[in-house]
Amino acid sequence: MARKIDLVIEICGSAGEGTISAGEILSRFMSSQGFEIMSFDTYPSEIRGFGKCVAHSRISNQKIFSPGKNADVLVALNDVHSISQLPFLKETGILIFDNKPLRYHEEDKSIAGWVEPGIISYGIPLHELAQRAAGSSRGRNMVALGAIASLFGINAKAFEESIIKRYSKKSRIVIDSNVNSFIEGYKWAKENITKINGISFESPGIKPSRKKREIINGNEAVARAAIDSGIHLFAGYPITPATKIMEILSKELPGRGGVVIQTEDEISAIGNVIGAGFAGKRAMTATSGPGFSLMTELGNLAIMAEVPAVIVNSQRGGPSTGLPTKTEQSDLNIAVKGGSGDSYRIVLAPTTVEECYECTCLALYLAEKYQTLVVLLLDFFLSNSIRNIDSPKKPAIKLLDANKAPGNRDLKSYKRYKITGTGISPRAIPGTPGGMFVSTGLEHSEEGLPRYDSETHEKMTEKRYMKIQKALKEIPKPKRSGCKKNIKVGVLAWGSTAGSAREAVAEAEKCGIRAAFMSPLSLSPLPVDEITEFANECEILLVPELNSSGQFADLIAPYVYKKIEKLNMVTGLPMPSEDILSKIKEIAE
Amino acid sequence: MPKKDHYVIIGNGPAGNKAADVLRENDRNARITILSDEHFSFYYRHKLCDFMSGVIDEDTLKVKFYKEYKEKNIRLRLGQRVEKIDPDSKTLFLKHMEKLRYTKLILAVGSAPRVLPSLLRYKDYFTFMSNYNDAANVKSMLENIKNPIVIGGDLIGINFIKMLSRLKKKATFFMYYKSFWPFDLDIKKADAIRLSLEKNNIKTISGDPVKTISRRDADYIIETESGREIEGDALFSFMGRIPNIQFIKGSGIDTERGILVNEYLQANYKDIYACGDCAQIYNLELKDYWISIGWENSILQGEVAAYNLLGEHRIIKPMSKKIFNVEGIKVKTSWWNQLKT
Ligand SMILES: Cc1cc2nc3c(=O)[nH]c(=O)nc-3n(C[C@H](O)[C@H](O)[C@H](O)COP(=O)(O)OP(=O)(O)OC[C@H]3O[C@@H](n4cnc5c(N)ncnc54)[C@H](O)[C@@H]3O)c2cc1C
Repeated sequence: MARKIDLVIEICGSAGEGTISAGEILSRFMSSQGFEIMSFDTYPSEIRGFGKCVAHSRISNQKIFSPGKNADVLVALNDVHSISQLPFLKETGILIFDNKPLRYHEEDKSIAGWVEPGIISYGIPLHELAQRAAGSSRGRNMVALGAIASLFGINAKAFEESIIKRYSKKSRIVIDSNVNSFIEGYKWAKENITKINGISFESPGIKPSRKKREIINGNEAVARAAIDSGIHLFAGYPITPATKIMEILSKELPGRGGVVIQTEDEISAIGNVIGAGFAGKRAMTATSGPGFSLMTELGNLAIMAEVPAVIVNSQRGGPSTGLPTKTEQSDLNIAVKGGSGDSYRIVLAPTTVEECYECTCLALYLAEKYQTLVVLLLDFFLSNSIRNIDSPKKPAIKLLDANKAPGNRDLKSYKRYKITGTGISPRAIPGTPGGMFVSTGLEHSEEGLPRYDSETHEKMTEKRYMKIQKALKEIPKPKRSGCKKNIKVGVLAWGSTAGSAREAVAEAEKCGIRAAFMSPLSLSPLPVDEITEFANECEILLVPELNSSGQFADLIAPYVYKKIEKLNMVTGLPMPSEDILSKIKEIAE
Repeated sequence: MPKKDHYVIIGNGPAGNKAADVLRENDRNARITILSDEHFSFYYRHKLCDFMSGVIDEDTLKVKFYKEYKEKNIRLRLGQRVEKIDPDSKTLFLKHMEKLRYTKLILAVGSAPRVLPSLLRYKDYFTFMSNYNDAANVKSMLENIKNPIVIGGDLIGINFIKMLSRLKKKATFFMYYKSFWPFDLDIKKADAIRLSLEKNNIKTISGDPVKTISRRDADYIIETESGREIEGDALFSFMGRIPNIQFIKGSGIDTERGILVNEYLQANYKDIYACGDCAQIYNLELKDYWISIGWENSILQGEVAAYNLLGEHRIIKPMSKKIFNVEGIKVKTSWWNQLKT
């Protein structure tokens, strides 16, 4: 059995110092060497300036589900920014810092001045070595990677090749300066540092992976799934953290006969999506909190007029413009309940990058089949966290064409909103001979004509409710892990917090606590039976989530018949599994 | 409100730690920082042999754990070397390019292994065993060493070679009795020690100094003055200790063999004190300076330096001579103490 390797490396620097690219290169390379990776970056909200950036990578030879709370290694490319990152370094972690910066730092501006004694600090002349390697200090990030390779037993030759590959489209000078900086860092650390800590990636059991694994984040997975599901139109207004989806599609869609429109605002974006949906084309938009708020009314129109529409909402800290580059799960209420009237909709919350792909395919299918609004709830972390995954399976044919078109019999006297056993009415695409209909946001008859009588409103409300409930069968059931019976603490988590909860439960079991985990993909309609059953099996039910009021806990409260323990955080960071574990231990006592 | 004092102590050994404790006990408010270029916390140097041979673990080696510094609000900064001192601006220049300001400074920088001038050109061949890092290094070498050579003229070396012999290494000891440290040996005493070591299966060469050292593959070949050739797979040197003051030279602080301080342990700058192995102290009676290297001396001096820094006028007196036993021989020294391992 290979020795367990599970390390978190953080690289911290100023925007423009190559912090994020160093993190990305490291993650990609470690993935190619057979490791599991999960990484994400934090960067300043302001587009210009020299704000703090952190590239966080968890690298393991085990399956991992969360990014890990504290770093084992912190690489400080910039002392001042990295000082505020030090509290996230483990008490016995390793600090790699520049011990030959361009000028002397005063005590409070020097990271070494803040280091606690248990931490091992390795000073490396990053500036000087980069200068020597490439005549400029820009390659400090590569020098740091070289030092990491030397200190932690990473195959330098293979790493070097991956850097060459990464910059292969750049000029020779760029490639050489990056590679030379890497080599300088590697050599210097080999010759000058006596390693104190045993941290290492060396393990006889680990082999470079032969299977090509995809390295993608949540946004990339969504964009890829949208293409694979045959969307024709993407309309959107740029907003962090969803912009990347539009960026990718604007490159990819036009060449495949699709259209990307950057609209003047989010209202217009959802308007475009509804227009395309009405015309029988698959369409989608992606936004974040402030844009999602603007879309609510037209979202209601999609529900009322029974037009397929998909909105990806990648949540960030709110309300209002809030915290653009921080993660949060606080749009659950608006996603599930944020409509006027009884606006039943489907809300899916993927928990992993793989599920971002699967749920996008599913969302486009469900929107088309159930003729309604489907909201996909991601968050900043899921959108940006990079995973190495096996290539996602393309959507089944069934998922690619789901419109229930009217048959000849239906078209004889066509009723667009015909009451059926399933709540789904045959939908004629404009231009279908005999398929003319009136479509409106007003309550309407089966023909689509405005009607305000109570009988019609009751029937139509019931129809819209019923079809959404029927959709539940087509959504994968909640996932479970951990104990199956005599459960002391059950953890019910959604979205990106599910990974941390799953790990916390596994750790709790190792500590002898009878714990179990469950996570539903569908937040609306709610898989009530499974949730109630799970809650009944647990002595204590814990719901961890990244919002302050406990939005999911409140959503399920009517179905669980017991007090729910809440764990809420609004730190702007993913929920650490360590914190969930502490809570499990606390309540299990 | 007057600005808080910042007492900085360079050196995390017995002298520096005692000084820091006294400062904290008598000044609740001041900032106190201890700097050390070693990564490992305060430890018993005399237990390093036991650590290397696996008799004790890392925790037993430690005198103090990090949390004790925290509890006393003493900032411990490990792995950070002071490269330069500017007494006029009261600034320390650290190797990693940081400027650290102090209001009062205690130099407790200890000592380093001495190399005999005649062997200086072979310095790079020697493995030293002076601090935790060295010990960790030797510990990792031990498994592969079969016939080590120890060039020795001090008590630490004698302990070291006995440890090698306990580990069944075929060791050779070159005894430099004429320049033995920390006390003189005459030929009679040297012979007695040699016999005692040989009883422990340690080949001991006394009175036939090294002439040349050369390398043959991974091995070291020593040719002695009398023409003998000794081969070994590791080469250690133990020739006593000298104050660690290289980095202080040129700063304006007076030094000779050590840092020159008066009977109050005060250097030629009023806010700078020195104590422990690095101090060269003026003796009122002898009207000369003396250096004393040894654990308990260092503690005593650390205490006196701290009280004087706080405004007292305690005079340091050389410790009284003690007699102790080296391989059955009674020796007298006022510095060294026979410490329990
Ligand atoms: C192997 C060994 C065995 C010993 N056995 C005995 C014994 O049996 N009996 C006895 O009485 N004594 C013994 N001693 C000696 C005793 O340990 C010393 O006398 C004592 O440690 C001196 O204390 P100190 O506080 O003056 O300095 P030290 O303990 O030497 O501490 C000084 C510290 O300052 C650090 N330092 C130096 N320069 C700088 C700089 N520029 N910047 C930052 N940090 C710096 C050094 O790295 C060191 O950590 C032994 C020593 C050794 C090495």
